[in-house]
Amino acid sequence: MIRKTRSLLIFLFACAGPASAQIIPIRTVPLARGDQFFLFPSNNLGMGGVSLALADSLLDPFRNPAMGARVSGTQLFVSPVAYSSSQQAGGGRTLPISILARAGSWFGGVSAAIQQVDNSGTSNSFPQPLALPRGGPGIANTVDGTGSSSSHGNAYAFGSIGKALGTGLSVGGSVQWSGLKALDGVDLLYPGRQDLAQSGHGVDLRLGLFKEWPGSRTLEALVLHNRFSMSHNVTYLDLFWDPANQTFLQTSRVERNLDRARTTGLHLAYQRPLMASGWRIGWIGTANFVANPRIAPNEVVTIPRDQGRSAAYNVGVGLAKLRGPGRFGVDLVYEPIWSTSWAVADAPALTDLGDTVPVGARTIENRFRFSNLVLRLGVGRDLTLTGMPKALGLDLGLALRSMRYQLVQSDHLAATETQLRNSWVEWSPTWGLSLRFPELELKYRGRVINGNGRPGSPGFFGGPLIDVAPNSFVLTPGSDLSLAGVSTITHQITLSLPLR
Amino acid sequence: MTRHVVRALGLGLLVMAAGCVETDRVMPQPPSLDAELRATLRNWGVVPIIPQPAQDSSLVALGQALFFDKELSGNRDIACATCHNPVTAMGDGQSLPVGTGGSGIGPWRVLGPGRQFVPRNAPTLLNVALGQPYIFWDGRVTGFGGQFQTPAGDSLPRGLPNVLTAQAMFPVTNRREMRGDPGDTDVFGKPNELAQAGDSQWTAMWRGVMLRLIAIPEYVAKFNRAFPTVPTNQLGFQHAAIAITAFETQALTKIDTPFDRYLGRNDDAMTSAAKRGALLFFGKAACSTCHNGPQIGAGNFVDVGVPQIGPGGAAEPPLDLGRGELQGNEFYRFAFRVAPLRNVELTGPYFHDGAYATLDAVVKHYNDVRLSLTGFDPAQLAPELQALYHGDAGTIAAVLERLDFRLQQPLKLTVTEQSELVAFLKALTDPSARDLSALVPANVPSGLPVR
Repeated sequence: MIRKTRSLLIFLFACAGPASAQIIPIRTVPLARGDQFFLFPSNNLGMGGVSLALADSLLDPFRNPAMGARVSGTQLFVSPVAYSSSQQAGGGRTLPISILARAGSWFGGVSAAIQQVDNSGTSNSFPQPLALPRGGPGIANTVDGTGSSSSHGNAYAFGSIGKALGTGLSVGGSVQWSGLKALDGVDLLYPGRQDLAQSGHGVDLRLGLFKEWPGSRTLEALVLHNRFSMSHNVTYLDLFWDPANQTFLQTSRVERNLDRARTTGLHLAYQRPLMASGWRIGWIGTANFVANPRIAPNEVVTIPRDQGRSAAYNVGVGLAKLRGPGRFGVDLVYEPIWSTSWAVADAPALTDLGDTVPVGARTIENRFRFSNLVLRLGVGRDLTLTGMPKALGLDLGLALRSMRYQLVQSDHLAATETQLRNSWVEWSPTWGLSLRFPELELKYRGRVINGNGRPGSPGFFGGPLIDVAPNSFVLTPGSDLSLAGVSTITHQITLSLPLR
Repeated sequence: MTRHVVRALGLGLLVMAAGCVETDRVMPQPPSLDAELRATLRNWGVVPIIPQPAQDSSLVALGQALFFDKELSGNRDIACATCHNPVTAMGDGQSLPVGTGGSGIGPWRVLGPGRQFVPRNAPTLLNVALGQPYIFWDGRVTGFGGQFQTPAGDSLPRGLPNVLTAQAMFPVTNRREMRGDPGDTDVFGKPNELAQAGDSQWTAMWRGVMLRLIAIPEYVAKFNRAFPTVPTNQLGFQHAAIAITAFETQALTKIDTPFDRYLGRNDDAMTSAAKRGALLFFGKAACSTCHNGPQIGAGNFVDVGVPQIGPGGAAEPPLDLGRGELQGNEFYRFAFRVAPLRNVELTGPYFHDGAYATLDAVVKHYNDVRLSLTGFDPAQLAPELQALYHGDAGTIAAVLERLDFRLQQPLKLTVTEQSELVAFLKALTDPSARDLSALVPANVPSGLPVR
């Protein structure tokens, strides 16, 4: 019956890497995300993740399976990732192992990863509804709400296969499966919960084409379909008044919230040398069509909605320069997004005008118009050590993501229309260090994502007691909902080992 | 050229990074009405109420008979239901009640010759069984953790099940309400023997009422059915009070309100106007700083600057000091119990002396208490009460001296906001409380007229 609050927080999850352009994220609030889906090794992360004019030899075969044509021989990658948010706001660890191989005109890869995602560490930051001691006098039938365990395990599997068709043309396909027990930050969406059990899966299917012309001109095309399905079983502790015994009763209530998303997308990218001096230029264009048959409710972000659909696009241009041991790259991407979500009436509802909204009709419509901008840039340089050329590589970069949207919300029950504008900027310094030996290569990449926040900080609910009348016994409302700024730092170490 | 491009981009990066530092603390979009309201409600202890257990039918039947029977009054001319009438939502619809000696019921009841109004408004008995810790406008009957404090002190029979039962012991002892004065005669011209006991002879007063009741065979049968293990000669008025409480619990608990359905997680139960009113109630208007908890009130005592009307209390007549009348409660001069608000739409006139007839007037009063009190027009009262309005400067100053700190300054609610507050207050109405006439029995064991 309840028309719940909804979030567009985690609209799409299967971003293969930090610079993935194939799936366009849609976010309405700057809640900090961990780098949970940073599963595959990347060369360019240390350079801000530039990718439009600068190939990422490690990541490209995972983003577009046809680009495995560039792989020579067989290589093993072990690329553990660890991330954590400041103010003890969560973190996680991922251990992926990947193999890319080529045999004749066939090529492909497999990858598997296990992952541990920590709770965001804020469940205890939210006070109980009343300032009464749990299990103390005045509260009966106390339920032992210890909250969910501290961390949960996810598992990922990836496989791709492709074939070089000659004349620089190759095709490939990939499938990625994710078995999910925890999505980073989802526990923040249910601040009043006693327990949260997540379960679900994701499937990502990709068909790619890659064409390489003489003169280093390349074209890639990708069609993808991504399905995401999660269930959140949220246990709340509800408080009731028992008039017969003049006492509060606590009972547990479990809400099962479903999150479903289906994304179909097309991505095109073209690169070519710009001039003879080592400059390259690249362009991309992407279209994503997202259907959300169910959107999980939450209690943090508060746009009422049950279902939604979106059309997200990006167009971008990148410049890169490779000359000698130095490299430089910059990407600029514009993301126009149109998204609509709505809530439907579970029961006939009376409008303020006296009309009745029938069951299934829309009670609230939210029309978003996003204009996001992404800027990535980075520099890198290889150095010679003890006579070995390129033995040491250093990268520095910065990624900026500006999110800006306008929301027009039509409330059919109140017969009102409201407008809202919101914007924020994420900024991520990145860095990288590479050590190359004759038999193996060791890379370290890191980044810090700033500009986001997480609830649960002092002042989020739990406001101070004010001087109430002597016999009052309840807490006063705290301050408005707000997010405390947190930074998320990510470290990836990649060991590349040629097998033959 | 390459160097120039790199330098320009590097400078741009620095500028952008500097500009982004300000985003360290970010705000999400404003919450929806429902989300904001639910988050607010969590902080005020306003929680759903679980249904009352069904009461024993024999107890309820006995309690109903007693509630409507004038045999309990000294002059046999007034019952509990006279001032707590189902026709007027278990109040009497008057600013101040007319006790024993009067005639008629509800808003049409008039004083008898030589009688005075009861000093305080007859509060509704709807939901009186929801576990209120304080009973009566001055909270002279209290119950916490099974311990009761009443004017009767140690004379109160032991083993009473709840504070409501303790309260039910007292109206029959009040001279102006039900007991009458020495020298009174009842409706049959017989001497009023109940009025003979002294005002502190609690046991004698209760025993007198019980002697009347067990003299009526139908009552004996009803008591025996309701208390099968208690011999007739050991029945006391506490047994009558237990039965009255059972009736009140069974028949007068009315909590199926739009707001309660909203608390039960039905977002569509209240209109948007009522939700906006609720946000004001629990926010800007600060009503919830007093009207909080499961009962939406009933938990404290506040001087809200209500005009002084009526004969007054015993301490400083004709003023009514409210809780300040009780010994050791000087702090609470002019403070009265915060009313629980379910079904408030049906239970006017409002405040301890019924100074305001409508919810609109109440909200307007709260919007600027000083202005409302100093500008109070007694013409809005019933003619017979207008002379009992104490609007002299000294009285107003005394009331304002103890005015609650939250009401010292005007709330500055707009006209729209005031109407939204009223919309919320109307969302506290259980539709089944609008017509309670079915509760009125055709007759009572004493044979006295019910209406």
